[in-house]
Amino acid sequence: MSALTGWWDDFFWGSVVVGQVFFVSLILMVVFGLIGAAAKLSKSRVAQRIADAYTVVFRGTPELLVLLLIYFGSAVTLTAIAQLFDPSVKFVDIPPFWAGSFSIALIVGSYATETFRGAFMGVNPGHIEAARALGLSSVQTFFYVRIPEMWRLALPPFGNHMLSLIKDTALISIIGLNETLFAAEQAIGATGKPFTMYIVVGCIYLGFSTIITLTVMALEKYANRHLERAR
Amino acid sequence: MSANVTDPIIVLENVDKFFGPFQALKNVSLSVRKGEKIVVCGPSGSGKSTMIRCINRLEEHNSGTIIVNGHELTDKTNDIDAVRSEIGMVFQSFNLFPHMTVLRNLMLAPRLVRKTNKVEAEALARQYLERVRIPEQADKYPIQLSGGQQQRVAIARALCMKPEVMLFDEPTSALDPEMISEVLDVMVDLAREGMTMICVTHEMGFARSVADKVVFMDGGEIVEVAGPTEFFESPRNERTKLFLSQILAH
Ligand SMILES: Nc1ncnc2c1ncn2[C@@H]1O[C@H](COP(=O)(O)OP(=O)(O)O)[C@@H](O)[C@H]1O
Ligand SMILES: [Mg+2]
Repeated sequence: MSALTGWWDDFFWGSVVVGQVFFVSLILMVVFGLIGAAAKLSKSRVAQRIADAYTVVFRGTPELLVLLLIYFGSAVTLTAIAQLFDPSVKFVDIPPFWAGSFSIALIVGSYATETFRGAFMGVNPGHIEAARALGLSSVQTFFYVRIPEMWRLALPPFGNHMLSLIKDTALISIIGLNETLFAAEQAIGATGKPFTMYIVVGCIYLGFSTIITLTVMALEKYANRHLERAR
Repeated sequence: MSANVTDPIIVLENVDKFFGPFQALKNVSLSVRKGEKIVVCGPSGSGKSTMIRCINRLEEHNSGTIIVNGHELTDKTNDIDAVRSEIGMVFQSFNLFPHMTVLRNLMLAPRLVRKTNKVEAEALARQYLERVRIPEQADKYPIQLSGGQQQRVAIARALCMKPEVMLFDEPTSALDPEMISEVLDVMVDLAREGMTMICVTHEMGFARSVADKVVFMDGGEIVEVAGPTEFFESPRNERTKLFLSQILAH
């Protein structure tokens, strides 16, 4: 453990970054998933096709590749645009934090699209009719009936999507984000102890995934409370 | 009697409804006055549900006129939510919101649609639970109740909106036989209190005791409309006779 002396705060701040990326990408992932599901369930053929293309592409290509394409693709484009105005510019990029969060949210959002679509289809249409018959607007019905009912069905796979997200944050070190893996690599460079450093990173991720798993379990219990009491 | 007592509260005139090429309602006309109780019967697939679902626009009719409580239902009815809030509907399969307690099921629409405050909405909910005789179930979830209790909650939920009209679509068809009467009793009470009701049901005892008119549908058409005594004792149409012989046989 003495090898770790002096590196604790690097790992700590790296973990904070992992937490931040997770938080931002979780929100984006839910947004992408809901938009994707809404498009797939819409009556518009065009929207359906676009959403189909989205899920096929992002579920069918390696995550690392998507991350690199988005980061370098956006950097090449931005650099070209910047050079139009100032030819001395060498390289402009989107900050790795945002490029990374966006990329992993886009990838996991393609899985969430399918999860949300299935869960919305699992809502009993009779309950929606009952809400409309009482005079609730479609927006009220969405928030008070559809979402709470689909939520229960979506939670178990959604927990898996959150685990995917947290693990995917590790990929972002490759485009230079100062997270835990990045900290480990620097520590390895200085101490020559790769095994120790990678174990530390592993423990940090296990900590994160344990918190997620426990949270999802608690949420599932809450979402199924009406079924629990019936037993 | 003042004019609004005798004026019809629901009018259907020459209503047609198509599902794709299939015509589910054919030139249906019906008028219901305030306080009237209409029982609708007919074979499965004859368009009974479709007709009452058109009245609160869960289905959109294709031609003809539907006027509910002074509002004509058209594509341009932009305040359909307000019209619906004046019409209570009870479904065969109860359709309670499973994730809410009984009390919250009852409070939801008054709070969201009528903007009633929480205290009043709860008082209203408890009052109607009392009326359907299950005040002690307020804090349970629907799944914990029997079918008969769930249906009574569904009736109370509709009543909490203080509707002008109540629509019932085979409210007892999904119930075990021993639970049918507890639901019918509540409906009879409601009828006695003067509620305007359209009930799709094959409970002929209920029809005889509360109906002002019995409407018989077959093949998307209204075949016969008559007072209950006339309907059961001396039906005019052959199809009505056949139907009655079938349902009274078992
Ligand atoms: N959403 C729908 N799409 C296609 N056909 C339908 C739909 N709803 C009802 N129908 C058809 O319309 C006819 C009348 O149905 P319905 O009004 O439910 O009959 P009832 O309530 O008298 O049993 C049936 O033949 C049924 O198959
Ligand atoms: Mg029916």
